[in-house]
Amino acid sequence: MRLAKRSHGSRLEMNMTPMIDVTFLLLIFFMTVNQVSNINREQIPLPPLAGTQDQSEGGVTINIDRAGEIIVSAQRVSLGELAGLLGQQLAAPNQSAATLTVVIRAHRDGDCRTVNEVVRLLNKLQITRVRMAVEVPS
Amino acid sequence: MRLTSRSGRHQAKIELQMTSMIDCVFLLLIFFMVTSSFHKTERELDPAVKVQQAAAQAASDLAPPMVDIVRGTGGFVYRLGGREFTSTEPLEAVLKQFENKLVPAAVRAEDGAPFLMAASAIQACKSAGFSLVSYVPLDREPAR
Repeated sequence: MRLAKRSHGSRLEMNMTPMIDVTFLLLIFFMTVNQVSNINREQIPLPPLAGTQDQSEGGVTINIDRAGEIIVSAQRVSLGELAGLLGQQLAAPNQSAATLTVVIRAHRDGDCRTVNEVVRLLNKLQITRVRMAVEVPS
Repeated sequence: MRLTSRSGRHQAKIELQMTSMIDCVFLLLIFFMVTSSFHKTERELDPAVKVQQAAAQAASDLAPPMVDIVRGTGGFVYRLGGREFTSTEPLEAVLKQFENKLVPAAVRAEDGAPFLMAASAIQACKSAGFSLVSYVPLDREPAR
């Protein structure tokens, strides 16, 4: 699609200004409104509740699907493997059981079995900062 | 920011070069259309997590409001004290009547209980004004 008419005699010159304007505008738009894409968050329907606080960033996100499978960073893991992952997190410098935040994202139609197992594990590791994700109903 | 020099072109007709801008806009528009997905706003509940211990359970029966999710005749229900509720509205109304909101409330759910009910019970406690709500996993249904 050619909208601009090119005069044959004149020197060909690419006007960058509008393109840069638009690119910067869209870049600022993205930076302002876009949620940080997070591979840790599975697309699972969460309990439709108002919640008590906004999403916390960082930490470990544990997804539990309807069948009770545990998914961490897009990988299905067993409870033992989850314990290993949490142990690695706790072993990191400047990290401790008191500062590590764990977000449990459990399917709204699932039962508490896996959630309870995860909570017991977190208790065993003395992790106290536990959050349960919900989605605000429209 | 001026990248193009206009020196020596004072006599030339000013012409807006639309091609590159339209290319860029179309490209970004297609990118958005292909990659965008709509998410509902996500928030969090912040219960304290505890593991039930037999001695602690017996000792704490008096003070804190304890919401159990138990199997009733027609499915799981919320139980607070001797009363059973099928929805969170009446449960929240009863929780609001507790005078001392500084004591931690607790939600106890057995393995088979729906997670939605456990989360709803935590939300009800928080909405009733309890600042600290504990989630306690149960191995089996609590005794009636």
